[in-house]
Amino acid sequence: MVVVAVTGKGGTGKTVVSALLIHFISKVTTRVLAVDADPDSNLPDALGVANEVKKTLGDIREVFQVSRDDMGAMNKEQWLEGKIYTEAICECDSYDLLVMGRPEGEGCYCFANSLLRGVLRKLMRHYDYIIIDSEAGLEHFSRKTIDTADYIFVITDMSKKGLATAKRIKKMSKELKLDFKGIYLIGNRIMSKEAEEIIKKFADEEGIPLIGFLPYDEKIAELDMKGLPITYLPENSEFARKVKEIAELVVGASIKIN
Amino acid sequence: MVERKRIEIPEGVKVKEVPGEMEEYPFDISPMYEGERIRKGEYFVELGGQPLGKPGFELVIALPPDQVEDMKVTIVGKDLDEMEEEGAYGLAMIYYVAGEMIEEDLEPVIERRNHDFQNYIEGYMHLQQRHDIWCRIAKSAVKKGLKSLAEIAKATMMLFKNELPFIEKIEAIYSTDEEFNKKVLDELAWPIYNARDARVEAISDEEVDEFYSCHLCQSFAPTNVCIVSPDRPALCGAITWFDGRAAARVDPEGPNRPVPKGECIDPIKGEYSGVNKYAAEESGGEYTRICLHSFFDAPHTSCGCFETIGFYMPEVDGIGFVHRGYPDVAPNGLPFSTMAGQTGGGKQILGFLGVGVAYFRSKKFLQADGGWRRVVWMAKELKERIKDYIPEEMRDKIATEEDAKTLDELKEFLKKVDHPVVTGVVREVDGQKITDGWVEEEVVEEVAEVAEAPAEATPAQPTAMPMQPMQPMQMPMQMPMPQFQMPTPTAAPAGGVKLVIKDAKIKIDKVIIRKAEEKKKK
Repeated sequence: MVVVAVTGKGGTGKTVVSALLIHFISKVTTRVLAVDADPDSNLPDALGVANEVKKTLGDIREVFQVSRDDMGAMNKEQWLEGKIYTEAICECDSYDLLVMGRPEGEGCYCFANSLLRGVLRKLMRHYDYIIIDSEAGLEHFSRKTIDTADYIFVITDMSKKGLATAKRIKKMSKELKLDFKGIYLIGNRIMSKEAEEIIKKFADEEGIPLIGFLPYDEKIAELDMKGLPITYLPENSEFARKVKEIAELVVGASIKIN
Repeated sequence: MVERKRIEIPEGVKVKEVPGEMEEYPFDISPMYEGERIRKGEYFVELGGQPLGKPGFELVIALPPDQVEDMKVTIVGKDLDEMEEEGAYGLAMIYYVAGEMIEEDLEPVIERRNHDFQNYIEGYMHLQQRHDIWCRIAKSAVKKGLKSLAEIAKATMMLFKNELPFIEKIEAIYSTDEEFNKKVLDELAWPIYNARDARVEAISDEEVDEFYSCHLCQSFAPTNVCIVSPDRPALCGAITWFDGRAAARVDPEGPNRPVPKGECIDPIKGEYSGVNKYAAEESGGEYTRICLHSFFDAPHTSCGCFETIGFYMPEVDGIGFVHRGYPDVAPNGLPFSTMAGQTGGGKQILGFLGVGVAYFRSKKFLQADGGWRRVVWMAKELKERIKDYIPEEMRDKIATEEDAKTLDELKEFLKKVDHPVVTGVVREVDGQKITDGWVEEEVVEEVAEVAEAPAEATPAQPTAMPMQPMQPMQMPMQMPMPQFQMPTPTAAPAGGVKLVIKDAKIKIDKVIIRKAEEKKKK
């Protein structure tokens, strides 16, 4: 099991990168779990499977909160596990998708979250690759709903804020003892040599290894505008080829495209 | 009560009997397969009940040993090798179990382990429980040599006997015959499931030897002592005694652990020596007594997670309840958040008590203090939610914000509906009269005369006047308490306030301070 989390400041393109990583990695094996861990994200849309998502993990946790008094002699952990496996996991052709969804409402979620952690831990270990599109706060990691990740890819654009977020993520992961194996930087929508130099310098200074730069791609902006899935991006475009290279780093093998 | 007996298999139905143990299984068996998800495209068949829209279920039935043929499997209907690839079939898994220690009460405990053990099987996924089961058998498992459901059944039975040694004999029926499944589900399984749920509602503190603790909240409420008993679910509303028991068995080092009940010190208050001992240990000596069903004497600590909070209103000698989502102030002038802030953090505070919504269903609900007969006010949303559990005699006598928003309105309402607190509460559990009711006008005057003298004689009285059951020193200073404004000694001239002290011989049970003019108006 290899867990990759893609994060970064909002709007830097982490969902685009996540979706393409899922697209390429699931060509190697279908034991792939895609996780949308950003309440404000739209990974299902980017993957073109939004219509197939019925319920989010958050929805199920809410149902649990209101119906738990009426479960009689049923086992609550099995109930929760059953609902997650049958309703929250969306079975796509070459991967499974889990949307974390809404944050907690009022009331006490200690028990629900304690059960969730156990269920997710057991579920996740059976996939070869788990790719998580995560908001910059890494909330699911800090709460341990998701145990840990092997690799964190921080996406940054040319903005100073993007880099500041990368720095904060590194600091936070240390403070919260999140035990990531490695945190890496990916520059996105980079349009000048000067910007590349600034990001390289930042990566050196902060000790966040730089994996590479992704170009600005008009086609992505166009797909975004039309609300079309990112998987429509031609696989031989420069952007897609570069993400494929990153996917190859993750799986440690070359990925064939049809 | 559903009679336990062997299920008759109707004539003309296809039956295959496979007796005896198996030497070798065509699959690996290990806990590492737990949680294995067999994906779309990977499964050979899907089996189960409701999720597939098929009649299927799992059921454990306890029988006398002479009626159980150990390790025998009967397959009713199609077996695995007769199924179509990627098809969906209803599956009933029925186990007969026998053993000296096995009684009907153990049936659900054994039944829920079916899920655990079946998930040890490589290439086999089992989800959910009862009629909600959903299983998948992987193509890879079939390729590896899995041919019959009997092989799954035998592996499961072997695990049952190894892991639960009190099972002396076990026999299984696995059926994919939809007509048979539907009949057994309706005529036997449902009545048994329903009886079990009714049992959860009916089980009482007296029937068990141990309660369970819960440590989930101790990170932010270090002195919290959460005791979960059959009659008192956790105040967060999430954990019942059955959940505590299940969790303690699965993970003895986990957040829920057994607390031996010990000796019963007071059956009405729900005080047990084992609980007291545990409370002293767990709170670092902070609390030495915990009464499970009392509001006024050593009540349960409140963590911070409680779904609702109960508050005592001395002015009416009754208890009100407000839930977390209620935005306004309760008749005592305080919102949920202020009361919660004062009570939370694992404290034992007289006058306030955090409770879970499920506790309103308890037959021992605050029984030491009169139970429902002492409840005078509830936020409407909360009252609606638990309406069915309020005894009929009290249902219309408990005010909501629609009836009363202030203490004066509440008093009027309670008088109008003749609430027991007005004339005195006789608690149901033992018929004892525990409150005197509101004192008549003339008596108030008399008592007041007497009371006024000592109040004047000792101007520093306020600190020595604990407003039982609320203790002033436990109240944060910033707390708004419009109805409890204590006169400062200098601002309390004779005649400016009137003190009404009741039951003065039992220390001080109650102090009502109110402006003299207000009194005269009546």
